[in-house]
Amino acid sequence: MRVGQAASLMVLMAIGIVVTACDVVASENQPAPAGGPPAGGPPPPPPHTMRAEMVEGDRLSSGMSGEALYSNRCGACHFDFGMGTNLVTKQQLAFGNPPAMGLLTNREDLTADYVKAVVRMGKGAMPRQTRVDITDAELEKVAAYLGKGK
Amino acid sequence: MKLVLPPGLSPQGFDGAVKALQGAVGAGWVMTSDEDRDAYADIYAPGPETLWGASGAVAPANVEEVQAVVRIANEHKLPLWIVARGKNLGYGTAAPRMPGSMVLDLGRMDRIIEIDPELGYCVIEPGVGFLDLYEHIQREKLPLMMSVPGNGWGSVLGNALDHGIGYTPYGVHASNLCGMEVVLANGELVRTGLGAMENNKAAHLFPFSYGPSWDQMFTQSNLGVVTKAGMWLMPEPETSVELNLEIPNAEDIGWVIDTLTPLRLNRIIDQSIFIPSWLGKMTILGQRKDFWDKPGAIPEWRVQELLKEHKLSYWNMQLRLYGEESVTKAKAEVVKAAFAKHLKTPIGERWWRKGDPTNVMDLTLGVPSAVPLQMGDWVGGRSAHMGFSPVVPATGKHVLDQMRRSRKIINDHDVDFYASFTIGGRFCNNVNMLMYDRDNEKQVETIKTLFNALIADAAAHGYAEYRTHLGWMDAISDTFGFNDHAMRRMTEKVKDTLDPNGILSPGKNGIWPSAYAAQRGKALA
Repeated sequence: MRVGQAASLMVLMAIGIVVTACDVVASENQPAPAGGPPAGGPPPPPPHTMRAEMVEGDRLSSGMSGEALYSNRCGACHFDFGMGTNLVTKQQLAFGNPPAMGLLTNREDLTADYVKAVVRMGKGAMPRQTRVDITDAELEKVAAYLGKGK
Repeated sequence: MKLVLPPGLSPQGFDGAVKALQGAVGAGWVMTSDEDRDAYADIYAPGPETLWGASGAVAPANVEEVQAVVRIANEHKLPLWIVARGKNLGYGTAAPRMPGSMVLDLGRMDRIIEIDPELGYCVIEPGVGFLDLYEHIQREKLPLMMSVPGNGWGSVLGNALDHGIGYTPYGVHASNLCGMEVVLANGELVRTGLGAMENNKAAHLFPFSYGPSWDQMFTQSNLGVVTKAGMWLMPEPETSVELNLEIPNAEDIGWVIDTLTPLRLNRIIDQSIFIPSWLGKMTILGQRKDFWDKPGAIPEWRVQELLKEHKLSYWNMQLRLYGEESVTKAKAEVVKAAFAKHLKTPIGERWWRKGDPTNVMDLTLGVPSAVPLQMGDWVGGRSAHMGFSPVVPATGKHVLDQMRRSRKIINDHDVDFYASFTIGGRFCNNVNMLMYDRDNEKQVETIKTLFNALIADAAAHGYAEYRTHLGWMDAISDTFGFNDHAMRRMTEKVKDTLDPNGILSPGKNGIWPSAYAAQRGKALA
């Protein structure tokens, strides 16, 4: 029981310090002032990360970059302190990996095929994504963007 | 998922309908592979997903395409299941009530048509998500604050149309809807309210029509396809203060409600007040097995131990006041004085002023997030949840009565008790979260039995659910039995008149068209 609780606290701490590496639209929303978290408690959650905007056009042959598409189509859950990031961070900590691996953009082990499979088939709490959520053309680009693994 | 055809449609008939739909919206936006059917299934289904399996999905880009889809559906007798973004998690996600229905996915219709910070409203399409609208407001630096539900991934209109709730002064979302554009089952386009006049300037401001007002007729309904609607937004307040109230015991909820409701009705408190029990906080701290490793409900002694270990009270409330600083301060004093009569512990204050940063969990400051859905991870596995959500009068007597009965029934089924009450005015939405691992058959069966017991008990005592999962839409509809279900009979007469082929969302909230009347009571959980 103690191990679980310690891990949970680590997750909370870790989630607060994960830094996003992707190109996102600048936000006026600044993080809480410096000075560190209040004594005895986890740090406050980070501000909302703005997603890239969708560019008008035919989504069946998207002209957007994988990075921008990942931001817009996946950012609801996979940015800093998103639901997906929180759950992946928990898993990564359990595997002995650093908390920053909770962000998919920091991962070196994902392959494009794996990304596509998880998006279409779901995994754990992640629902299967429809082809309106993300089209096949968009998914190709996102998978290529995230799939740095061999 | 293998193809299941809608009742009465042959494989050839289905193919003909699909080809016609492809002609109307483009082949890429008619999705009928096994993988597509899986993607539109209920990810939280309490039982086999095939109980509510779609035959496919069609995604029009604009109102003209919606009209074309509806006309084709009539011609081919293809039932459609209307979703906005299809993120109604806990209530069926995007899956249809009647197996074989084709999902009409409005997710591509995601235009923010108009947004007016001066009068505080927007006109949007159903595909606009809470995140989309929030980010638009931030980018344009508009002085508006949204009201967001627990799941910020979903559609603003879809949530309001299904009577979703948020936690600001605009928290009763269906009451923010004003002036709709609706495609009727015959393909005709209607505008409600003052929008029925060409170029009316107050179409999304005045809440009534000239004559009967129809807006609410299209909520929790299958009488039309809402293709755009006006939605009121709160002007961003100058300040806001969060009051943190720690309420020690379960039974305290009685005096808490009796303290809060008069303040709510006197407009000292404007928000929809969310009062969650301790388990809400625990679900963020870890998984159930970290705290209790046996399958049955956490026993009361262990609950008390956990509350002590984690310095939690039974109810943890973050009450929020909004407005000019002097007014907010004065209101805070009134609230604190009211609670001082019962509560000896200090009340924490957290101030926010216009321009201050917010964080991803500031739902009461209108920041959308999907993190509350993380609670499902509490049980582990392919976790899911359903809410048993009766509406009770906002008095301590009624709330205590409902809580004691539902708590006993939930305990008797050996399931963890996780309740919340949200005061939306003269009523409370009492949401009892039932979390389960979808792959644990025994757990799913227990939850279903428990759900049925809770519905029957609440109805016997005069309380009804405000919203429910596909598998119980008929059961809840049955509880509204006055004068031999006169209201349902009236609605179904309207349904048959407007939609003689019954193509729009048959079975939604227990409303069955004559064309599919034989399906009533089938495909239940």
